[in-house]
Amino acid sequence: MGKLTNFKRSLWVFHASGGSCNACDIEIVAVLTPRYDAERFGIKLVGSPRHADVLLVTGAIPRDFADKLRRIYEQMPDPKAVVVIGNCGTTGGVFYDSYNIAGPIDEVIPVDVYVPGCPPRPEAIIDGIVKAWLKIEKLEKELEGKEK
Amino acid sequence: MSFTLTTPSGFWNPILWLVFLALFSIIAYLIYSRGNPSYKKDTEQIKPYLSGNPEPTKEKVQVKAGDIYWGFIEALKGYYKVLQAIHTGDMRDYILWYLGIGAIITFILIGGV
Ligand code: SF4
Repeated sequence: MGKLTNFKRSLWVFHASGGSCNACDIEIVAVLTPRYDAERFGIKLVGSPRHADVLLVTGAIPRDFADKLRRIYEQMPDPKAVVVIGNCGTTGGVFYDSYNIAGPIDEVIPVDVYVPGCPPRPEAIIDGIVKAWLKIEKLEKELEGKEK
Repeated sequence: MSFTLTTPSGFWNPILWLVFLALFSIIAYLIYSRGNPSYKKDTEQIKPYLSGNPEPTKEKVQVKAGDIYWGFIEALKGYYKVLQAIHTGDMRDYILWYLGIGAIITFILIGGV
């Protein structure tokens, strides 16, 4: 695993739930509970995508939600990363090929990290966030290079 | 020449005021310059977050004074519908109503005599 060198602030995360059964969402909450306590590293859930570095998405994304998810993604400032939590968002899961599903998520917005599982364990979610963190560092360096 | 105006409740000095103005402008600029320069103007990034829903027009989100009476007007809709139809804003119509209703009352009270 690479070392974090460039991204010198806390990583803020926004969670969008699109038609998930809620189990993935509960595992995300478990990451914040005292046992794992991701907040001690500055990783915290925020209430607006405009404040977020990472977008966590759960669920298979029903048709009605696709445009909203796109808008949420567009509202995030650059550099940003998208992490899909759970099988539903990754492949469609149990909703695969369903008539009312616009997902899997990478058919709606670009995805950087997949965390499969139904639902994935909190350790896997934390691992996914760290991977997103590394990705954002890379993007930030690219952005800095462009500005120079 | 003194620029200071002293009053019972304090003093006013335009030079001091300009110094503070310059100082706060510098602080405001420093805060502004630390903002995210990579945000894109005229995109969704500058719009408020409304759970992913599109931003409605300002007229639609504004609470009008009439909205306060919404429940009242909704409950008496049948009555208001009739009233609004005859509420023409024409003074001659109102005088006609006045005379008409006055005639009916007179007829009832004194039996048309
Ligand atoms: S992946 Fe499994 S746990 Fe997660 S939302 Fe889908 S069905 Fe629920």
